[in-house]
Amino acid sequence: MNTSFLRVSVWVYLAIFFAYLLGPLVIMSVTAFNSSEFPRATPWECLTFDWFSALFQDQRILNGIKNSLIIGLGTVVLSVAMGLAGALMLTQIWPKLRATYYTIIIAPILIPGVVLGISTLVFWDRINRFLGLGADSFLSNGIFLTVIGQSTFIASYCMLVLVARLQRYDVALTEAALDLGATHAQAFRKILLPFMRPAIASAAVLAFLASFENYNTTTFTFGEYPTLTIELAQKVRYGITPAISALAFIIVVLTVFFALLNEAGIKRKEVVAAARRQATVGEMTGKVRLPGFFTGNAAAVVLVVFAIATISVVGTATVYSPAQCIADVKEQKRLEAEKRIQELRKKREEQRKQREAEQAEQGEAQQSAPKPSNNSGFGNVFAPNTLSGEGEDDAPETDTDEQPSGGNGGFGGAFDPNSLQSPSD
Amino acid sequence: MSAGVGVDLENLWIRFGDFVAVRDANVNINGGDFFSFLGPSGCGKTTILRAVSGFLEPSEGNVLIGGNNMKGIGPNKRPTALIFQNLALFPLMKVWENITFSMEIKGASSAERRKRADELLDMIALPDQGDKLPSELSGGQRQRVAIARALCAEPDVLLLDEPLSALDLKLRQHMRTELREIQKRVGITFIYITHDQGEALTMSDDIAVMRAGVIDQIADGKTIYNDPSTAFAASFVGENNVFRGKVKQVMGSEALITTNRSGDLVARISTANQGKMKEGDEAMMFIRPEAFAIAPDGATGDHFVTASVTHEEFEGNVFNIFTEGEGGKEIKVSIPNLGQSFESHTGQAITLEYETRNAVIVPAGELAAE
Amino acid sequence: MPGFLKEFLNRNGTGMGLAILGLVLFWTIGLIILPQLSMLDFSFRPNLPPPEIGGPKDVYTLENYKYLVYGPEGGSQDYNVVDLRIFFRTLIAAVCVTIFNLILCYPIAYYLGQTKGNHIRVFALMLIIPYWINEILRAFALRIIFGETGVLNTVLVGLGVFDTPFDFIRNDIALYAGLGYAYILLMIFPIYNVIESLDHNQIEAARDLGAPWWRIHWRVVVPYAKPGISSGCTMVFMLSAGALAAPQILGGPSSLWFTQLIYQQFNDNNDWPQGAAYAIVLLVTCILFVLAAMRLFKVNMGDIGK
Repeated sequence: MNTSFLRVSVWVYLAIFFAYLLGPLVIMSVTAFNSSEFPRATPWECLTFDWFSALFQDQRILNGIKNSLIIGLGTVVLSVAMGLAGALMLTQIWPKLRATYYTIIIAPILIPGVVLGISTLVFWDRINRFLGLGADSFLSNGIFLTVIGQSTFIASYCMLVLVARLQRYDVALTEAALDLGATHAQAFRKILLPFMRPAIASAAVLAFLASFENYNTTTFTFGEYPTLTIELAQKVRYGITPAISALAFIIVVLTVFFALLNEAGIKRKEVVAAARRQATVGEMTGKVRLPGFFTGNAAAVVLVVFAIATISVVGTATVYSPAQCIADVKEQKRLEAEKRIQELRKKREEQRKQREAEQAEQGEAQQSAPKPSNNSGFGNVFAPNTLSGEGEDDAPETDTDEQPSGGNGGFGGAFDPNSLQSPSD
Repeated sequence: MSAGVGVDLENLWIRFGDFVAVRDANVNINGGDFFSFLGPSGCGKTTILRAVSGFLEPSEGNVLIGGNNMKGIGPNKRPTALIFQNLALFPLMKVWENITFSMEIKGASSAERRKRADELLDMIALPDQGDKLPSELSGGQRQRVAIARALCAEPDVLLLDEPLSALDLKLRQHMRTELREIQKRVGITFIYITHDQGEALTMSDDIAVMRAGVIDQIADGKTIYNDPSTAFAASFVGENNVFRGKVKQVMGSEALITTNRSGDLVARISTANQGKMKEGDEAMMFIRPEAFAIAPDGATGDHFVTASVTHEEFEGNVFNIFTEGEGGKEIKVSIPNLGQSFESHTGQAITLEYETRNAVIVPAGELAAE
Repeated sequence: MPGFLKEFLNRNGTGMGLAILGLVLFWTIGLIILPQLSMLDFSFRPNLPPPEIGGPKDVYTLENYKYLVYGPEGGSQDYNVVDLRIFFRTLIAAVCVTIFNLILCYPIAYYLGQTKGNHIRVFALMLIIPYWINEILRAFALRIIFGETGVLNTVLVGLGVFDTPFDFIRNDIALYAGLGYAYILLMIFPIYNVIESLDHNQIEAARDLGAPWWRIHWRVVVPYAKPGISSGCTMVFMLSAGALAAPQILGGPSSLWFTQLIYQQFNDNNDWPQGAAYAIVLLVTCILFVLAAMRLFKVNMGDIGK
């Protein structure tokens, strides 16, 4: 009985854990399809794909993607090269220096990204001044600085990935190649590099992702070339829209897609390797057929289902129009707003009456004691200023609802959390 | 290639920091010979091989190949090919690509390479295995591929670094014969590194016995076995019983030594030490287990040893009798099994007899570890 | 040393050797050491307009560090209460996030490390995928959830837990959840790596000897996993203390993170030396803190980064 209780609690724990881990991403993805102006999953308004088109019309986002790609490419090249050199050096450095050297090349992982960004900026600015170059020189270029700054620590990640593989490399292989007449460069290219290829690929992917999502370092170095992450941060900090959810959704989908693809590829290699081991030489060539791709390969099956789902969703998106639904919701909102306004008016009417009555009373009282009003506890609430303020808050909402041409954009302020505060009171 | 290219080591010293790996080695290897360096692990034999192949620069002295000094010439420029202890087959290349790697370096076409690979695969009796990966071959097959790969480079000298050590006993014995045959067929110089005296004795023309960076003796296998020049060579190659003592009297090529346990015994002074040993010197006398015979009880003299038997074992071709030796070591006596009935001696004292020519005296020195 | 260099070039070939050496030197000296030293030097200098740099006014000064402690000269308070409070809050909060993450991740890492089966691969994939999503977007996702009208508030109000939406952002709950969320993987992986190599028989043996589950963990698993735990904690602490995106997006408007102060010095005040000084303070404090914690828990430096 104890074990079954334990097992249940393990699964409950796992469920909570993965809910914490994946829940936010799922909810964020869902908000990309809700027509609500503010990204949220509840209340659900209308299924819409408009946020995607809004996303693809955003020049800053597109420009950010372009910059991110350029910087990512530069970072991949530089950090994989430095990481590989660093790893090679680590395997053959003088033993007395090894600990120091390792500490130096591992340190950038632990140094806060902010610090790396600042030190890069300060250092290259100095070099630039030292060389007597202007503010528009290559050394103060945002792309250069960002690549340099990011590579400082991304190269450490690459080094760790590469050194793990390099430790399994038999130096005798290089020696054998040399012994058979190869030059050092040939031995590197023909023996070491092919051996390292899987690790280099992993390191490159890792480097690209790290570069693509880096914020802390880039935020100090980007200069005139904001990356996607920088643009996103700007947007998220100063007002959020479901277009960002749409972008997040795309990234989530791509990530899942590539993860599955990778998984399926690994599985396939295992299947092929198993087949090779069993096959004799004659059978081997051309025996691995495509359907073999799926045998015992759950990841591949999921991958295909996933691809089909994506295609059908995109297909739906091209024909689906949420206009009717949005109009309905808008109508409903208008009605609600009107109702609220009515209520408000009624309330205001009552208040006015009440106040008039009070004033009448006070007016009598004032005659005997002419003192400023609003002394009473609820005085402020009924002050004319307060009332007009409330009225102003309502105004934009009423306006947009009565302006059919306002379109989606018009909702803006109404669903801003701050604006919502007062009506919901 | 027909006459073979010789290799000479002249006053070769190799140091790693304070550690001396090779101390003043002088070796002349004749062209076309099968030459072995034999010694326990850590004795510096692999270091010598790496100096010959060019992976190590000697601290002092020279390596000459075919009379040419190899100083400053890298491994990829030397006419040597090395077969690594772990073979170092390229794991990602197919067998035929492995074999013809040296041709790929020189820019040979794929067709040429395939053709050559097929010839070599035939030679090593692995036809049609060219498209496999090394990981798909058995240990013995990999061994042969490594040889083919080295031979494909058409080296003048083939260097082998304990290539058989990873194989099981049967295969190892088979590969010995095969290696020797290949060597005879291609006619080039083989330099072979091993700690296995059986391999060295069966295959080599000449053997250098090494101990702690020093070459103790260079000679053919028979000489090393029968006429070792140091205590180490005597104890490392083959089984040997040691008797410690002092030289009592030198009589030409023979000497009488006073042993610690067994009284005065007579033996031949090893060839290398003749004329160098004098009365009072610390000496060691070695007698092989098979050189003893059981003497009639009560026989005494300077070629009889009396001892009590501790235990016996039957090995098939021989009976082994172990008697008390000195310093906790046993004296082992092997009697060939010729179908004679054999009575147990355990617990009894027996007298052993040997012929003077089968006992050899060398100066006292370090013995090989068991 | 030249001997070492010569051997290095011999072993790698002159061309390859020089390429490796060049890249390593560029990285270690040009990208790691010199920029840090440069920043250190910079933090001791006054904030001058470009023409005056290198001029007579460009002298070493402790002003920038004094500012953190005492605030502006002639300020109304004896100490720079605002900045110091932010500084210590950042450190304490980073410690809390680290502990929270450790408690959250240890069971998962243990489970993944000691369980066999296909579903483990699926779990691993589910762990890694969130890590591939942009840090900003992850913070954004949490902001959607923790917002005034977010999912969480809708649910909690719907369930009647709260009468009115709770302001998770103003109370910094969103921030702590976001920081924890951002570095889960960095805590799990080092611990997982170590626990995976723990022979399950040790646990079986301990159980066999009658140890209750908590004692098995305390006496067998945790000591064994210590290098992984310290590795994970170090990473999470350093990254939390140095985080910028999450505090900017999820932090309440009234409470800043120390990195945000640095950011302000650079981008809003345009006072680079001041920013550099703050960055140095952050870096040095974090390192000292980690070293002290390692001394306290008797962990070797070599175990970190495994």
